[in-house]
Formats: sequence, structure tokens, C-alpha cells
Amino acid sequence: MLKVEHLKKIYPKSDRVAVDDISFELRPGEIFGFLGQNGAGKSTTIKCLTGILPFDSGTIEICGYDIVKEPIKAKMNMGYVPDNHSVYEKLTGREYVNFVADLYKVPTELRRKRIKEFAEKFKLEAAMDRQIAGYSHGMKQKICIMAALIHEPKLWVLDEPMMGLDPQSTAEIIAHMREHCAKGNTVFFSSHNLDLVKKLCHRVAIVNNGHLVDLFDLAGNEANKANLEEKFFRITGTYERRLFEDYAAQESEDMRPDLPAHDDDASLNGDKPAEE
Amino acid sequence: MKGEISFARVKTLFRLDLKSRFGTTHKRGVKYRISQGMNALFFLAIYAVLILGMYFLTNIFVERSKMTLEFLTLISLATIVLASAIATGNIVKNLYQNGDNEMLLRFPVSGKEILLAKSIYCLLHNLVVCVLLMLPFYVTFGAVTKAPVGDYFSYIGVIILSSIVTFAIGNILAVPAVKLINIFKNKFVVVLVLTIILVCGIFVAYLLTLSQILTYLRDSKQDIFSPEMVEKYRAFFGGAYPFKWYAELVSGRRLGTLNAGGLALRFLYIFLMTAALSVAAYFITSRAYYRTILYGVASGKSTVSRKAKDKQMSVTRALLTKEFYLILRSFNYSFEYLAMACAAPIMVFFCNRLAATMGTDTVGGAIMPGITIMVIIIFITVTVSFASTCISREGNCFYMTKVMPVSFRSQVLAKFLLYSVVATISVVLTCLVTGIVYTSDAGEKALSAVDMAAIWGISEILVISLTSLSMAVDIKWPTFNVSGDGELVSANKNVAIMLVVGFFFAIAFGAVVMVTNFLPLKIGDWMVSSRGNLGNIYLMLTLVSLLLLAGSLSALFVNLDKRYNKIMW
Repeated sequence: MLKVEHLKKIYPKSDRVAVDDISFELRPGEIFGFLGQNGAGKSTTIKCLTGILPFDSGTIEICGYDIVKEPIKAKMNMGYVPDNHSVYEKLTGREYVNFVADLYKVPTELRRKRIKEFAEKFKLEAAMDRQIAGYSHGMKQKICIMAALIHEPKLWVLDEPMMGLDPQSTAEIIAHMREHCAKGNTVFFSSHNLDLVKKLCHRVAIVNNGHLVDLFDLAGNEANKANLEEKFFRITGTYERRLFEDYAAQESEDMRPDLPAHDDDASLNGDKPAEE
Repeated sequence: MKGEISFARVKTLFRLDLKSRFGTTHKRGVKYRISQGMNALFFLAIYAVLILGMYFLTNIFVERSKMTLEFLTLISLATIVLASAIATGNIVKNLYQNGDNEMLLRFPVSGKEILLAKSIYCLLHNLVVCVLLMLPFYVTFGAVTKAPVGDYFSYIGVIILSSIVTFAIGNILAVPAVKLINIFKNKFVVVLVLTIILVCGIFVAYLLTLSQILTYLRDSKQDIFSPEMVEKYRAFFGGAYPFKWYAELVSGRRLGTLNAGGLALRFLYIFLMTAALSVAAYFITSRAYYRTILYGVASGKSTVSRKAKDKQMSVTRALLTKEFYLILRSFNYSFEYLAMACAAPIMVFFCNRLAATMGTDTVGGAIMPGITIMVIIIFITVTVSFASTCISREGNCFYMTKVMPVSFRSQVLAKFLLYSVVATISVVLTCLVTGIVYTSDAGEKALSAVDMAAIWGISEILVISLTSLSMAVDIKWPTFNVSGDGELVSANKNVAIMLVVGFFFAIAFGAVVMVTNFLPLKIGDWMVSSRGNLGNIYLMLTLVSLLLLAGSLSALFVNLDKRYNKIMW
């Protein structure tokens, strides 16, 4: 579905190699998590494989099409949701989704069905004919997702999709990722949310300083699931025993401090606090 | 909204506001300082031209027509009306369209404190505007009439009083203005039509005034106003209250129309009027502002609503429609491009008329073809320079152009098609208007059909050339510097580059046609051009234009995919 081989990217006027010799392959029907600290090279890799950034060496194939040699065919099989939810805000939601559908040559009947279905699912029916400029953060993210999926791509790429979203929107997106994969498509997404990745992804890759350091199965591998956080902390060079223990404790236990004892219980029960 | 006002918080809000407008005081580079210096010089140059114009205007009214008090009344009327309009716009922008509800939600401040901080800014802004607007008039007036030093203090006093009254008027007018804006906000076509009418109106009024001033300059012995007109002016300005009070306050005593008591009475009238307007402004603003700020908290932004059909379009049509909507639905873009393109025929006609009148009076009718081609190319350049932000305007959505399954060439071609078609329609209309007038008796047959056909042909080639060159420049140096609403913060350097290139061709082509129509050009035995026979010159200019066309099309389309792919976002 997606094959990345020896990908290398150096930004102009920079000595630092942003992505260095990264290779991996995605299978049909899997959800693949892409982890790394800020600046590790996740977004650069995603931008290279979506065609946003040119790269210095290596190859990227989407559904067998090389992104450099056959970019149109490769892009036809892909849907992309950026991390900043940027869309043409002067258009209405419906105009924007139709514009993207036109680019992917989605026939009228099919797009009608999908737009209706997505609008219902994401609860955007009332907003579809309003200008995107008036949408909330979550609504913009949803319209981006609608546009990315309007042609039902075989590969769905999302860059930090849950950032800043409310729990309902997050749940809707997760549900849709699972649904998309169930149809034999592939989802590739970057995230900082280790817990979500652990529960959702079949496989995960961890990048650090532009290198792909580890790639392992999560589905059916309880040991990898259990050790994901520790692996991440060790690979990214941020492992400190005390810090990690704190993190693990936060994940597994209630960490809220005890409230100081006062008379709130009495007032909640309808009793007035004693006057001084 | 009730509660005590903390002046410390008001001060903090005011400082925060200033910081967000004028940036921090960090040290800037040499490049920044040079550009700031150039901006200041440009501003001063414009200001100097304005003062020169004011000087002649003062001379016309005061020295030649002896209408001193009428002139002062006119100054008061014009500057107070203008300052009130500016104040209204500023208050609308700062109080009612600034998203202050977010400030209210985010910081531990009250609505009263935000209103006070904003009002202080608007008042100071208005004072600066009034000083910049009124001082040159009064100083010029003082210089022309050789006023004593004391009068200059009265000018300052009147300016301060005017700034308060215009601020109060601005506050009162801002409420209906906001309501009007909300009615028309999403009616893009209506706004565009109104903008075109306004642009043409202002431009034509400006040129007609300039024409009168130039006539006066040309023949300073000629009386600019007939005795009947002088009487009409006197009658009108004699009853133009309250503006006459300001005029009398400035120099009523010197002109002998007022005694000390009369002067005090005029001051009292102005004071009472200012106080009444200020009280009204306070009540109106405090009510309307709190309602706006709370409405903003409750309902957020209001935007356009339009039911589109879920129907498949071709890729090219989809790209064209998207580009057109993005321009039409942005006030700035539709003004910069569509309004300019639509207004160009009228602007070119009046500009040409003025230049032709002045030119033919001084050097004869032979100047007309040269002036026409120059003016048309100047307006083409202004319209087409919009294409030099074609990539930059994508802003945060630039990634879309890289991700979509459409070749970069097709995307660029769609934009190129839109810009070329709009500019072509504008040029055809411009040439038609100019041609119909100047090839007929009404235009004294100043241009022949051959002249017009050649001018149209050359202009059309330049439309395509400058459009492709503009786009090539923006592909080379795009700047994705967009504001919150996704629009470019300001015109980038590419626009400036294209204006320089376009103006160069306008001046060069205009000069060649003008000179060769005066001085016959002969190479050996070959008579290249003579008066009224510019066929060969037009042919040469067409060839030069075709060379430019070939160069600019190559600059845009050769290796386009490679260059587009290199654009970093």
C-alpha cells in the first residue's frame, strides 16, 4: 500500500538531515502509528510521502505508483489530513468538499451519497452550507477528514489528527479509522498519544533525529503493547527512571492530590457554613 | 459589566493593544530599517505633493477670489467630514470587529475596562489623524495670509476640538455603520459593484479637481470662479453651521467679522455641541459595545451561507471556480483585482483625457497615441500585478496544491487563464471606450483606427506577458505571510517588482510613440516613421512585446513542475 525506501531529506540552507535513510512498508487493512518527539522527522516524512516536500534520495510508492515518477496516480490513491486543519475558509463546507471531489473525479451520485453520509456521521448537516471561516477547530478538522475521504482513498494519511479535538470528535475519528481499515484500506498517522496508539494501531514505528529506530507489531503482541511507553522513552533518549516511573504511574493510577478537609460537604448537604 | 474600573488594568490592556499593533521594540536588521526609511520618504514625498496642492487651492480662494472665511469654512467642513469618516471606520474596526469577546474570556478584565482602553487608543488615533489632516491646511492658510503667531495657537485649539467632535461623531455613526456592514457583509457582488462605483467616483472627482488646478497653473491670470459662482459659494458657506463657527474661531477677529464677545460665543457653541455629542456617544457606545461583546461570546462569527449543488465539474472548472470565489469573497482581493479591472476603462478614459488636454495644449495633438499607450499599459500593470501573489495567496492551504492529484502545470494554467481572461476583458473595454471617443469627432479624431488597433494588439500581448511574468515571479519567491482570515498580510515584494517592470514598459513604449510621432525617423533611405504614420513603430513595439511574451511564457512554463515542486511550505 505504501512503500518507503531509504528516504532522505535535507532542508535547503540546513546542515541537519531531517530524515535519514527511513524505510518501511504498510500492509492493506492496517492502522500504522508513527511516533517521535517534536522535530524527530515525523511531519517531514509525511510531507515527503504526500508530495508536499521534495526529497533528496530514496523512493516512495503508493499503491505501486512512484510519487516522483507518477505523482497523479499516486496521489489519486491517497487522502491527507494536515495537522493544522488548513482549508479554503472562504468556501462553504459543501463547496470545499465538492471542490476536492472534483479534483479526484468523484461522480455526482457517489459524492452525494458520501457527503450525506459523512455529514450525518460527523454531525455537520447544519454547517455544510456555511462558510468554513465560521467553523470551530473540531468542525474544520471534520471537514478536512470529509474531504480526504470523499474519494475513499486506499491510503489515508493523518498528521497528528487528534490534536486539540474534543472527546466526541476524537471518538468519531477513531471509529472512522477502524471502519476505513475494515474495508481493506490503510491508515497511517502520526501522534504523541501513546495510549491511543497502543489501543488502535496494528504496528508502530518510532523515529528519532530523522532515523527510524524501531518498528514493531502491537496487534497480538502484548509484550510490545505493555512496553510501548518504555521503548518510546528509551529510543527518544528521554528515559530517566524516575521520570518514566512518574509517567507510568500517571497512566495507571489516580494522581489527583487529596482535597484539604473543609466544610464543603456540609454546605453540599444543604447546611449553611458556620458564621464566624 | 458592573464593577470598579482598575486603571492599572486599563493601562495594561492599552499597552497590550499597542504592542499587538506596532510589534515589540526588538532590534531590527538593516534591511528593515532601510525599508522603513524608504516608506517614510515615500510618505513625506506624497505629503509634500499634497501641501503643494493645498497651497494652490488656498491661493485660488484667498488671494484670487477673496473668499477667506468661505475657504476656512470649506476646510472645516471637508476635514471634519473626512476625519469623522476615518474615526467611524477606526471605531468599527477596533470596537465592533476586533474579537474583544476573546479578551473578555481570556483575561480577568471587565467589558468597561476593555472599552476604556480601546477608546483611549481610538481617541489618540483620531487626534493624530486630525493633526495630519488639518494642520497642513491651517499652516498653509496661515502662510498664504501671513497670519500672526497667535493665530497658529488657535489652529491647534481648533484641531483638538475637532478631534473630540469627530471622535464623538465616529462613535455615534459606528453603530449604524456596523448594522449596514452586517447587511452587506456577505453580499459580495453588491459590495463589488459599490466599490467599483466608489473607486471610479473618487478617481474621476480627483482628476477633475486636478484638471482645474492644472488649468489654473497654466493660466494664473484666468479667474477660476465666475462672479455668479463666487456668490453661490458665499451664500452656501455663509449658512454652513457649525463649520462656520470653527472658521470664525480661527480668524474671525483678524478678518473683522467678530468682536471678543462674538468669539467667546462661538467657542461656547462649539463647546456645547461637542459636550452634547460626547454624552450621546457615551450612551450609544456603552450600550452597543457591551451588546456586541456579549453577542460575540454567545454566538461567535457570522459568515456567508450558500447552498451549493453536489454535482461533478471538470477539474479545470473546479480550479477556476475556487480561485474566483476566493477572490470575490475577500474584500481586499476583489478590490485589488476585480474592482480595478472593472474600473480601468473609466479610469483610463479620464486619465487619458486629462493627459491629452495638457499634452495637446503644450506640445500638440501628436502626443495622443503615445499618451494612450502609456496610460493603458500603466493600468494593465496595476491590474495584472495581482497575479504576482497567485501562489502566496494560497497561504496555509498551499499544501493542497501539492497534495491534489492535478499536475502543477494544470493548476498554474487555470490561474493563468482566469487572470488573463479578466485582464483581457478589461483591456478590450478600455480600448473600446478610448477608441470610440478619440477616433470620432467628439475626441477631435486624435487617434486613427490603425492607432487603436495597434494599441489594443500591443496591450493584449502585454497582458499575457505581464501575467505570466507576475506568476513566474511568485513561483520563484512566494511569501505565505497570511493573517488569521487566511488573507495576505500585505502586498509582497513581487507586486513591487511587477509594478516597476510594467511601468518601465509603459514609459518606454509611450516615449517611443510620442517621440517618433514628432520627429521623423529615417534609417538610410528607409522612412521608418513620420507624423501620423507610425505603422513601422507599432510593428517594432509588437515585435518587442512578442519577445517579452516568449520570454515570460518560458519563464513561467519551462521546468514549471520542477520549480513548483521546490516551493517550501
